[in-house]
Amino acid sequence: MAGGVPTWEEVARDHGRFLYNVAYRLAGNDSDAQDLVQEALLRVRKGLERYQPGSLEGWLARIVTNVFLDEVRRRRRRPADSFPEDPDWVIPPAPAADEVSTGFSDEVQAALAALPEEFRSAVVLCDVADLPYEQIAESLGVPVGTVRSRIHRGRRLLRNALVSTGETA
Amino acid sequence: MSARPAPDDRLSAYLDGELDAAERETVDGYLAESSEWRAERDEVAFARDALRGLPVHEAPSGFWEEVLSPDLAKARSRRRSRLPRVATAATAAVAVAAVVIASLVIPSADRVTPRVPALSDSHAVRSSVSDEPVSQLATLSMITPFRK
Repeated sequence: MAGGVPTWEEVARDHGRFLYNVAYRLAGNDSDAQDLVQEALLRVRKGLERYQPGSLEGWLARIVTNVFLDEVRRRRRRPADSFPEDPDWVIPPAPAADEVSTGFSDEVQAALAALPEEFRSAVVLCDVADLPYEQIAESLGVPVGTVRSRIHRGRRLLRNALVSTGETA
Repeated sequence: MSARPAPDDRLSAYLDGELDAAERETVDGYLAESSEWRAERDEVAFARDALRGLPVHEAPSGFWEEVLSPDLAKARSRRRSRLPRVATAATAAVAVAAVVIASLVIPSADRVTPRVPALSDSHAVRSSVSDEPVSQLATLSMITPFRK
């Protein structure tokens, strides 16, 4: 790492696990998470010269969230881009039979994937990426008050989904 | 004394340590007085804990080897090429179908081209019984070759 700015390979090696986890929680499936991470790393490579040493993971979370929201907007404009083998972002995939079920975690992931994207982005940046509200606001390009509202509403929706899942299970 | 509001998004900010001292004191007061505020705090805390308790989701095996391969852009374009291939095939199929349908629906050139010599003959006959000067010219078509 020269002068505090890492190479993109160092970013991928040292922070890839964090980046992938955030991407997966946003996208809701591995296929889309892989696309998000690869696109995010391309943007990292292009943007490293402008990176100001600070919270690298905050910067990465911001980039991958922007990639996610760009993709959501692109798919809204071109709904035909959703293919049967490329599940829609808001529909969580059923776990494969050979996957080890993690029980409650699967339910939480399914409830998270069912949240509208603006609420999902806010709660993922808060509760998965652990960013402060001010950084979330910068990442999403909205005021802090909007972030506060989205996080609260997102958590309420998630809680209601989990309770209804528990009642119907 | 102002009326206590319904529970709101200050509760999430309270749990996340995002309130200033004055707001925190206000929310502390509501929580002490109101079971409704306490119930909503517990509901939001349940969701917050559930999200924060999610395990780190690992990438499938082989993914990072692909990402760290010498040319990420190529690997990326290989993944993205799925979509254009399918889109191109679909566009080609639609174009072929359109050509086939058009060939069935649109009459062929033979059927719509006027049979000029026959029309000319017929007009010449009409002009021969008419004194109208322009129609007299129609007889010229009988000696003007239309075929190459």
